Amino acid sequence: MALDTLDHSPPPIFRQGLSSLSKLVLLGLLAILLMSVDKRLNISQPIRSTVSVLLTPLEWLSLQPGRAITAMGAYFSRVDEARDAALQYQTRTIGQAQRLQQVEQLMQENAHLRQLMDLRSQTASPAKAVEVLYETADPYTQHIVIDKGQLSGIASGSAVMDVAGVVGQVTRVYPLVSEVTVLTDRDQSIPVMNARTGQRYIAFGDPVTLGGSLELRFVPASADVQQGDLLTTSGIDGIYPAGLHVGRVQRIDRRIDTAFAKVYATPMASARGRHLLILPPAKDVPSKPPAEDNTPRKRTSKAQTSAPQAAASASAAGAKP
Amino acid sequence: MIMPAGKPLLLPANPKFIAASLVLALFTNMLLGLTGQAWLPDVLAVVLVFWTVYQPRRVGMVIAFLLGLVLDVHESALLGQNALSYVCISYMAIFIHRRIQWFPLREQTLQVLPLFVMAALLEWTTRLVVQGAWPHWSQLLAPLLQTALWPLLGAVLLAPQRRPFERDNIRPL
Repeated sequence: MALDTLDHSPPPIFRQGLSSLSKLVLLGLLAILLMSVDKRLNISQPIRSTVSVLLTPLEWLSLQPGRAITAMGAYFSRVDEARDAALQYQTRTIGQAQRLQQVEQLMQENAHLRQLMDLRSQTASPAKAVEVLYETADPYTQHIVIDKGQLSGIASGSAVMDVAGVVGQVTRVYPLVSEVTVLTDRDQSIPVMNARTGQRYIAFGDPVTLGGSLELRFVPASADVQQGDLLTTSGIDGIYPAGLHVGRVQRIDRRIDTAFAKVYATPMASARGRHLLILPPAKDVPSKPPAEDNTPRKRTSKAQTSAPQAAASASAAGAKP
Repeated sequence: MIMPAGKPLLLPANPKFIAASLVLALFTNMLLGLTGQAWLPDVLAVVLVFWTVYQPRRVGMVIAFLLGLVLDVHESALLGQNALSYVCISYMAIFIHRRIQWFPLREQTLQVLPLFVMAALLEWTTRLVVQGAWPHWSQLLAPLLQTALWPLLGAVLLAPQRRPFERDNIRPL
């Protein structure tokens, strides 16, 4: 090894480059700029995609030890456990067979009725099965990375579900992988319907309460909500197909000092399984109603600007006795 | 160059070894991230600070910034969050690198603690401002563990430079 390398040569006298303080200021400002751009403008996707593709081999390698351990554990797991599981699935299949036959008949009936009523036919969109690669390490967000991306035709905004119900929504699509935001993430929300009463709400993610739950906002204190009520997707947003299970109402706090009740629901999907289903967003969504021509008062125009707000006001209005 | 008495003269560092150790540290971070535990140490930060202290002309703030961006994308955090904290610890490492090299590795440990604590504080502040999220109490452990890792990782990373300059088959080491 030669001794006259960088370590053993004197530092340059004149060609010093930027001072470390100016570097700190420049790079720090660049980082803050990137953060604000990422948060507000959503134009940093090319940077993310490039880095993600470069990182793919390293990420694949990092998954291998975990996979090997899981495979070994599965190999050495006891036979009767497997037998039990097989039996359980069998009984479940038999239980479902009866309902399945009913569903066939109901679907035919439903299609017939819809034709009669001249409604849009609800076509089932083709779903894609994907595998969970890992949960991201960031302790503040709840994201899952799945093994299919842009090249497999995954679209941003698609709904994601597992056996039990809705898991979340695809929020970032890279060329090879995609990112799913889980319902209990603090920035995630989903329009839901109380299956018992038919009232519509918006559920917001709350990672802290009850160890990860959904909070129903804008629920009037007098609304008919009970513990154990099933929440399903309402289907009015054009993203989530209607009727998917979302969660069950777990806790209701009614307070005297506010007009709204605090309602918390636990999500049905555990999001711990390995296989998920991606449902692409529905395409035949009816167009938005045209804006009113006469200059309306400020309050009414505000309620009609965006779909979630409209849904919120609709749910609040519908809940009034 | 003035050197502290008794300090062994080190071989020059191999740039390939530096790069490999940084990639390996990133890989370790990925592995630790898969466990989902927030208290595990940020190994990449330790290796980065180490090379910034010992090789400030090779590993500097630009590399720290880029590695931070890579970690942001992997963790799907806000782009620039880790980059900001890495640039700051890298600056602090450059700030202390002349003094700290006068001490043996074990005595350096207490001097790098403020670096990691300040990096953690900076990260928590960014989170609080941007996302309004408070850190979990177990995350307080991470900077302490990173400090504890300093002498161990330092000894491993300096080992290739402690080899003899000329190979001698008779000499035992």
